[in-house]
Amino acid sequence: MKKFILKKLGLFIFVFLGITFLSFGLTYLAPSDPAEIQLNKTGVVPTEELLERTREEMGLNRPLLVRYGEWLFGMFQGDMGDSLRNGKPVAEELAKALPKTLLLAAVSMAVVITLSIPVGILCARLKNRAFDLAVRFVTYLFASLPSFFLSLAALYFFSVQLGWLPVIASRSGAKGLIMPVLVLALSLSSWYIRQVRAIVLEELSKGYLVGSRARGIPEWRILFFHVLKNSMLPIMTLLGLSLASMLGGTTIVENIFSWPGLGKLAMDAISARDYPVIQGYVVWLALIFLLVNFLVDLSYGLLDPRVRKGQVERK
Amino acid sequence: MRKTELRAGFMVLLLILFLLVVLFGRQFAPNDPYASNLSASNEAPSAEYPFGTDNLGRCILSRVLSGAVASVYTAILIVAVVSVFGTAVGLLAGYGGGWLDQILMKITLVFQAFPGFILAVAIAGMLGPGLKNAVFSLVAMYWTSYARLTRSLVLQVKNEAYVQAAILCGAKRRHILFRHILPNIILPLMTTAVSDISNVILSMAGLSFLGLGVQAPQAEWGLMISNGRQFLQTAPWAILFPSAAIFLSVVLFNLTGDCLRDLFTERGEV
Repeated sequence: MKKFILKKLGLFIFVFLGITFLSFGLTYLAPSDPAEIQLNKTGVVPTEELLERTREEMGLNRPLLVRYGEWLFGMFQGDMGDSLRNGKPVAEELAKALPKTLLLAAVSMAVVITLSIPVGILCARLKNRAFDLAVRFVTYLFASLPSFFLSLAALYFFSVQLGWLPVIASRSGAKGLIMPVLVLALSLSSWYIRQVRAIVLEELSKGYLVGSRARGIPEWRILFFHVLKNSMLPIMTLLGLSLASMLGGTTIVENIFSWPGLGKLAMDAISARDYPVIQGYVVWLALIFLLVNFLVDLSYGLLDPRVRKGQVERK
Repeated sequence: MRKTELRAGFMVLLLILFLLVVLFGRQFAPNDPYASNLSASNEAPSAEYPFGTDNLGRCILSRVLSGAVASVYTAILIVAVVSVFGTAVGLLAGYGGGWLDQILMKITLVFQAFPGFILAVAIAGMLGPGLKNAVFSLVAMYWTSYARLTRSLVLQVKNEAYVQAAILCGAKRRHILFRHILPNIILPLMTTAVSDISNVILSMAGLSFLGLGVQAPQAEWGLMISNGRQFLQTAPWAILFPSAAIFLSVVLFNLTGDCLRDLFTERGEV
């Protein structure tokens, strides 16, 4: 087990460095000069000489690796530079928005799990029967619609036509969370139900089921205890990976429903060319994704001794 | 067997028809997609404007038709680029092996560690809005899956008898790669690419919707929906029809990909 954890930890550190390096390197893609933005903000007309001095002051002239090292070191101390837009510390801005995005993602994930796992299992059990066909049809439909269309359709029906729910989510507490969660959970579930169905179908073809049925164990018990337990590992892995599309979805949904999370912050930063904030947005969300998958990986080894002994690869 | 073939053939035909409509759709546009008519803004569908008009009084049907090229062909272009690039990386890693494999796969791993759409938003955001930048950001988001798929496929066929035989015959590496390995793994790659076009269409529309893709006044589906958002209450058709166009193209590419996969699986080629 120790060796397994160490191996995973090594990979975690490598990917961590890779993510931070790439996110740091992103600033080199930006067409405008941060020094120029800084000067423009103060209203000074940038001369070449002044630009050079500002670059020197901001440390923009030093080699890439030195700047990366300092940036990373600063990040560990909670210093991610200042916003070019309003001069506030980036880390502070991000920390304010992060809980909102996490809340949105966590509640949506909870809905996805409680909806997808039972429905997926039932679909597999009732393969090609009316229930399965209906679910497959509906999930196909939802998976082919862009999440922003679903959001706008929800807005149209629930806010405009029926007047049940608020248009702007942030000003209305828990009630405002309903539509963003609904959209995120439905679009992810439509993918996830199909995956659960496929995994469970494979499990249903195994021999132990005949034994369980012969012993007179009730069908629901077999499905939700025996089969589910055995399918749990691939189901969890996929859930960890699907967090990526969930986080991607939050960016669009937050902007439609004006939910003050990281995605909203990032889009505001993009329109103001506030590079440090964009950088913070990508690095924080990537790290959350990395951490969750690292934990999924570890639990995989914990739950299945064959994995940690390297006898079988995780699916 | 016959049924799967017929279905796949039918889907491919339908897809070709759709691509032709996309390509020549502009010719059938009833109105100029860029001509605004402020006296007819946010009008409901009528004989003159079958899909209604947007807030500037532009014909939505004409804009959906002329925006199709930007939405669909850009997605095809992106998938073409990522599949060629990703496949090249996968071939090098899978066949080259050793340190080359290690390095290439570690780079792939880092790119995959980003939640895909977030990386695209960040890259497009850094570069600034525009079609070219959006394309670049989606390439950065999508190439990894091809690299990994190709590598695993190469590893599967690498030790097959026909590859060993070619090595024994003294064939050059390049010859083995392009004449023996690539033809045997190209089908699963192609089916993945066809299905992937629908993912790219959705991502591209997402970027445009956020204002990071094609810029106004150019007609593009995601941008049209973003534009119609403010007039949701009075002119829902401004959102409905471009969304239906996205939906239709996504379903078409997905179904075609599924049918091709079924066909090749049945023939035992995948």
